[in-house]
Amino acid sequence: MAPEATLSPASLDERVLSAAERKPPAAWWLALAAAASCMSLGFALMAYTLYMGIGAWGNNRPVVWAFDIINFVFWIGIGHAGTLISAILLLFRARWRNAISRTAEAMTLFAVVCAGLFPLIHLGRPWINFWLFPYPNQRGLWPNFRSPLIWDVFAVSTYFSVSLLFWYLGLVPDIASMRERARPGLRKLVLTVLSLGWRGEASHWRHYEKAYLLLAGLATGLVLSVHSVVSFDFAVSLVPGWHMTIFPPYFVAGAIFSGFAMVVLVLSVVRRTMRLEDIITPHHLEMMNKVILATSCLMAYSYLVEGFTAWYSMNPYLHHIFKQYLWGTYGWTGWTAIFCNCLIPQLFWSSRLRRSAPVMLFVAVAVLIGMWFERFVIIVISLHQDFLPSSWHLYEPTLVDYGILLGSFGLFFTLVLLFARLLPVIATTEMKAHLPREDAHA
Amino acid sequence: MLKRPAAVLGLFESPRALLSAIELLRARGRWSLEAYTPYPVPGAEAALGLKRSPLAAMVLIMGSLGALTAYLFQWWMNSVDYPIVVGGKPVDAWQAYVPVLFEVTVLFAAFTAGLGMLLLLNRLPDFRHPLLSSKSAAALTRDKFGLALEPAEGPFDAGAAEAALREVGAEAVEVLNQPAPPAPVKPRTLLLLAAGGALACLAAGLGTYWTLKLFPALPPMSHMLEHPKLVPQKPSAFFKDGRGMQAGVPGTMARGRLPYPCKTEACASRLANPLPRAAEVLRKGRKAFDTSCAVCHGALANGRPLLSEAYGAKPADLQSSRFLSMEDGRIYHTLMTGKSAMPSFASSLTDDERWSLAHYLRALQRAQHAEDEDLR
Ligand code: HEC
Repeated sequence: MAPEATLSPASLDERVLSAAERKPPAAWWLALAAAASCMSLGFALMAYTLYMGIGAWGNNRPVVWAFDIINFVFWIGIGHAGTLISAILLLFRARWRNAISRTAEAMTLFAVVCAGLFPLIHLGRPWINFWLFPYPNQRGLWPNFRSPLIWDVFAVSTYFSVSLLFWYLGLVPDIASMRERARPGLRKLVLTVLSLGWRGEASHWRHYEKAYLLLAGLATGLVLSVHSVVSFDFAVSLVPGWHMTIFPPYFVAGAIFSGFAMVVLVLSVVRRTMRLEDIITPHHLEMMNKVILATSCLMAYSYLVEGFTAWYSMNPYLHHIFKQYLWGTYGWTGWTAIFCNCLIPQLFWSSRLRRSAPVMLFVAVAVLIGMWFERFVIIVISLHQDFLPSSWHLYEPTLVDYGILLGSFGLFFTLVLLFARLLPVIATTEMKAHLPREDAHA
Repeated sequence: MLKRPAAVLGLFESPRALLSAIELLRARGRWSLEAYTPYPVPGAEAALGLKRSPLAAMVLIMGSLGALTAYLFQWWMNSVDYPIVVGGKPVDAWQAYVPVLFEVTVLFAAFTAGLGMLLLLNRLPDFRHPLLSSKSAAALTRDKFGLALEPAEGPFDAGAAEAALREVGAEAVEVLNQPAPPAPVKPRTLLLLAAGGALACLAAGLGTYWTLKLFPALPPMSHMLEHPKLVPQKPSAFFKDGRGMQAGVPGTMARGRLPYPCKTEACASRLANPLPRAAEVLRKGRKAFDTSCAVCHGALANGRPLLSEAYGAKPADLQSSRFLSMEDGRIYHTLMTGKSAMPSFASSLTDDERWSLAHYLRALQRAQHAEDEDLR
């Protein structure tokens, strides 16, 4: 790749690692203030919910799951891009992942943090959340391991801890480089401890590379399993519109789709503001946009198959609910999802538009909106008219619902902003290994 | 303190230079070699003659262990200790255990790969390695490639090692010194630490004690408990008369609770048991007995309670001859009125349950006083 030819390992370190050594610019402080304010609002409203009970939200019977679970599925979906990029693309030896993997992995973690909050607060009384875990108790009870909700607890907590480990392993050599750049003092001490005294010994690299490869293999299975398990929360139930065999692959494709949109959104801002345009090149963004285009087509296909299955089933309940998706009270959400998820990304068939920054931002935001509404369609519309017409009920979110949604975005971007200033946004060690060397053709 | 050289480190410009230096120096066989590189250099392992990493085998073993653990745990919890039937499937259907089994397998395997690599195989964290305090550490984590010569055996001639490194093209050479051994801990420091630890334990203990004493069982948030509801024996604004508990509507009665005509035992002894002596009635009586009576009278109604003797009054031994001839009506009467320490069961049992208890008591008595012909 042409732009990388001008990079040397030393200049890479200088540009990427020095971000943490400089004073952040005013724009960063402003962005952080905005994000942190949203986050605080969200936390305040969560505290209010805990005090008042779930009645503070718009949830009702039969719409017992609404913004809480929509946001959970939305964020856990966003959290799929990072591990996909770092694990699956590593196994496929797709070299373009090097420049973007670190930031994408960090985003995975932050998105899973946001996601994890929602099931916790929607318990209503989260201080007894330990009831979800198997521990011996004097009531002689155990969790029901045949319930997809328990599978979910295991899948999400495993996903978080393994992603954290994966991310940290990649960081260790980079933190060691930062440690060596730091002047003696508290910062150096912290970096020394975080880097575990990593010294780049050849015999260490031998185990390290093996561990990284093994983790990539394990994370690949994990990333595919997590959203499948999330989809079981729906598919294993009997609610018309949920009880579908296509759900696991359909959810995984949607997760990758929305995750890549978020990565494109964040990276196109990061590369501009941190002047990394020649490291995170248009080529990288274009590759991600291609993935977005491919997964968009997969989404369109899934919608079609879903609709076909519903029609072909000859099941009047299913027919009814699918009509509600597009022509019911909330029909506009269904059309929004189709428009944003299936139509807008088709712009990426043109290579000029794939490489254009404004178009990219537009599509990424549209995809995020579309994917959020897709979960609204699945959850709220399927629930609001169940088998018993006497219990049908419309759903209307309260201000608290909107505030907590905003708060989750605030939390996510606060963490992203802190990460961008405190840790290397590029996996420098991994990049160095693939830079063209002067003596390569000597 | 005398500094002893631990190794001599030479810096190289490129991986290629490093690899050729390794090859030349390894052939001489006087030193044991170790390379330090900013990123993994392909071929370095082979050049240094390192063995393959055993990590994959470790991961395989721990992953399998994770799978086994997850399966056995779930099977024991949901199929053995607290069997739950879901959807009419067999209690030991394994298919539903697969998702958690998979996740736990990955968890075990991933942490073995990550932490096993860092902590076990690479023996990190290690903050005292001589390289960390060397001048070259910054260059080695940035873009230079280091080769350290350590003595294979016998005394170490640092000068010869330096010369050899320069000979094979090292740009710069540095002698790495043995790290100073950690200073011995003074008894005073130990004493202070111990005292501090004891104090901290004491403070934590007292703090916990007083917190729990001052704020007993404080629920984190009680708002969800404080909602309008009827509480027995408490006033309520819901009904006109301002009471939480309401008397029955005049002229009606509860199902299964006909008005009881008798005031005296004599009257009761004339009542006949309206229920037939049928298996179903006995089953009902047995359930009521085990639920309401066995704690005091014992499972065989012989007055040996399941509860401790601490319970003051002695429950009657219903197997004694006095009760063998007691009429069903009088048993019924006792249940309606209660007797000394025995409470009335007028409100907690239905008419049918009380009459079937009388039948069941007869069955228990017959079982304890079986005659020869019963065995035939
Ligand atoms: C709280 C403990 C307790 C429970 C529960 C209890 N009893 Fe009793 N019961 C007693 C005591 C004590 C006596 C002896 C009372 C006396 O003779 O002063 C007694 C006496 C009796 C008598 C003999 C009454 C008499 O006239 O001498 C009968 C019959 C009897 N119980 C049946 C039952 C049945 C049937 C039940 C279950 C519905 C039951 N009891 C539950 C404590 C209990």
